[in-house]
Amino acid sequence: MDVMANIVYPVAGLIGLYAFVSLASLVWEGIDRKLVARMQRRVGPPLLQPIYDFLKLASKETIVPNTANYMFRAAPVLALATTIALLAYTPMGFEPLLSSRGDVIVFIYLLTLICFFKILGAISSGSPYAKIGAAREAAIMVSREPAMMLAIFAIMWRLGKLGVEKPFSMGVFYQHNIWEIGTPLSFVGAIILLYVFCVWLASEIEAGYFNIPDAEEEIAEGALAEYSGRYLALLKLTKALKTYIGASLVVSIFFPWGIAGYLNLSGISADIVNLLFHTLKVFILLFAVQSVFRATTGRLKITQAVELLWKNVLPASIIGTLLIAMEVIM
Amino acid sequence: MNAEAILPYLIIIPLFGAFSMPIVSLAGKKAREAWAVIISGATLVVASALFYHVWDTKEIIVYTLGAKTPFGQGVDFPIRIVWEVDLFSAIMALTVAFVSFVTVIYSIDYMKHDTGLDKYYTLILVLELGMLGIAITGDLFNFYVFLEIMSIASYALVAFRNDTWEGIEAGIKYMFVGSIASSFVLLGIALLYGQYGTLTMGYLAIKLLQNPTVTAKVALALFIAGLLFKSGAAPVHMWLADAHPAAPSSISAMLSGLVIKVGGIYALARILFSIYSPLGNKILEVYHQPYINMSAVGWVIIIFACLTLIIGNAMAVIQTDMKRLLAYSSVGQIGYILLGLGIGLTAYGSHTGEVALAGAIYHTVNHALMKALLFLVAGAVIHEVGTRNLNELSGLAKTMPKTTFAFLIGAAAIVGLPPLNGFASKWLIYESSAIYNPVLGAIAIIGTAFCTAAYVRVLYTFFGRPSEKIANAKDPETSMMLPMFLLVLAIVVMGLFPWQISDKVMIPAARMLEQFNFEYIKALISLAGGA
Repeated sequence: MDVMANIVYPVAGLIGLYAFVSLASLVWEGIDRKLVARMQRRVGPPLLQPIYDFLKLASKETIVPNTANYMFRAAPVLALATTIALLAYTPMGFEPLLSSRGDVIVFIYLLTLICFFKILGAISSGSPYAKIGAAREAAIMVSREPAMMLAIFAIMWRLGKLGVEKPFSMGVFYQHNIWEIGTPLSFVGAIILLYVFCVWLASEIEAGYFNIPDAEEEIAEGALAEYSGRYLALLKLTKALKTYIGASLVVSIFFPWGIAGYLNLSGISADIVNLLFHTLKVFILLFAVQSVFRATTGRLKITQAVELLWKNVLPASIIGTLLIAMEVIM
Repeated sequence: MNAEAILPYLIIIPLFGAFSMPIVSLAGKKAREAWAVIISGATLVVASALFYHVWDTKEIIVYTLGAKTPFGQGVDFPIRIVWEVDLFSAIMALTVAFVSFVTVIYSIDYMKHDTGLDKYYTLILVLELGMLGIAITGDLFNFYVFLEIMSIASYALVAFRNDTWEGIEAGIKYMFVGSIASSFVLLGIALLYGQYGTLTMGYLAIKLLQNPTVTAKVALALFIAGLLFKSGAAPVHMWLADAHPAAPSSISAMLSGLVIKVGGIYALARILFSIYSPLGNKILEVYHQPYINMSAVGWVIIIFACLTLIIGNAMAVIQTDMKRLLAYSSVGQIGYILLGLGIGLTAYGSHTGEVALAGAIYHTVNHALMKALLFLVAGAVIHEVGTRNLNELSGLAKTMPKTTFAFLIGAAAIVGLPPLNGFASKWLIYESSAIYNPVLGAIAIIGTAFCTAAYVRVLYTFFGRPSEKIANAKDPETSMMLPMFLLVLAIVVMGLFPWQISDKVMIPAARMLEQFNFEYIKALISLAGGA
């Protein structure tokens, strides 16, 4: 029985989630492209275009540069594998499959590791364009994570004070949320942190201002310059999944409410309804952070982006954190 | 299995191997190498058996040289040399034997272009012998003798390539300051012997508790000074940054993986916990007797640990010489171990202290494995490409894929990435230091940030665009790959069961070291009846 509960069900759940999220995230990409096209008075591609793109890339010939080493071929696979592993720790309308005490660190670690594999793959190609892209990716990564980590740890610590069974787990958001604290200070703090997380999400998915590492016009697709065929397909899929996962984090911190309770559902059907509702919320959030941001703003220089993240977002995160923590500390 | 019967073989086998090496060498090159591998392999078998026995029974083995009991005829104090092996000693002995074994295998091809190899293999076995001796001894002067055996062998091995200027320079530097440090230790032993008239660690602990004098404090200061030097702690780490790059890489792996831990950390822990009993001093304090404030001593170590952490890791970031980078990284990691040790002493008796101590022991073993791996990789790179300059080694992954993969694993482990062994040990140290004092936790994190930067820089070079220098390099032959493979395997397997190892081995080892029931002293006294 234990084998069933500990191994078989989580694996089945993970496969199911992977199938669903791949589909949903690629469909979202289609919706996003359609919406941006409409904002620019174009017709835009069909909704399923990213899936066609994926299939086409996967069937294309894959070219490996002769300066590349084994990491060039391993990195896309490792990045996708990390992303799939990350799905088991992502809250998606219900507690993550492998929720345990302290798994927030695993979440952050795996999310960063995807980026790291992308960087490793890029520098392994031997192409100078990819190397510049990788250096930018690294600079952005180092700048954006502290603000997010501070905010998420503060929120988890604050929610832990309200009494949860697994402190610092991704599941706590479904037991308490930050709007419940209810004091004006914490409300203002939560709004500020929402801003922090939105900027973080935009830089994580490289939208708008932060479309820097892969900037097509400047450095010819940057980190992805040398990738073609199957590997490019894997990296595109990874990026789509990561977009969904990043947005899932923000949604579950700030808008964790499910609708299954109102419909008197329980068990598997409740999870499915909550997952669908969660996906809707993810799409709405991504509409604001990705589509609108992408359509209305241009790219920053790398120095400006790093400056924005350190001088604007991190202080905001500190202020928001202090406001949230205020009544516990005092 | 009778543990007392196999314990002497831990010393006999390498001693016999080292002394017979000049004769065996007459039979030729192959015989010499085979003999070194057989001897270190046999030592590994003995060390494993010893470790298994101590771990299984959770008892401290006491072995007396020359008689059944250390207590003489008609006198009620120990007069003979005793060896006392608790779990920490057994862990250290196993680590030493394992790393020495892989290093000896590695040396076969790595050293084949050098001359004077009969002396090399003799010295490497003597080095192993000295470290094993330090790990198992329960006698203070015996400890000093083994410390000197280890130190002198390592001076000679650092300067082994005596046709290079840097080998001689580093050797002289290491020898001069190392001798001074050793003489500090000897002076401390002399003071204790003059005051208390015994050299047996367990009995000395009793004497110290009966009468904690100023002399004992002075001796403690001398021990700490001497042993912090041997471990490469911050203000006196400069020898290490010269000695490691100058030595042959197989020796760097032993120096960095073992010598600084056994001769520094282990010896320090043994003296602080087994001779200057923190529990005994706490009891004396409660009864308003004169006592030695061990928690203040712990703070002294913590201060050095924080300095070491920051300086070592920060200096590693700016190096362009691959082995120098690894040497500074060793200094940084020693900082973590010292931090765990210091918190174990200041927070003595609490759960936090125990976790910190277990983390320090765990990290000692882990770091021995990963740093041995990294130095062996560096050796392979130098062997194939002929340069240590990181700026010239761009794109090495193209021509030496297996070697760079081993480096990737080692670097990820040392930074502390979760599926590898470095994570659990560093986690224990972070957790305990953050609970004990958040500032210490923050310092530990800053150290890790530097460490990450240093290794990511190397990876960035290795996986970059291939340079002309590396075009003709290739992975080294099997006898050099096999040790790396063994170490990678050990790192990955230990990484898969971190908390099991922590609960089943490291926490019991920390508990035995803390001596809540004076186990170390009792184990010695238990032999008194047999006289």
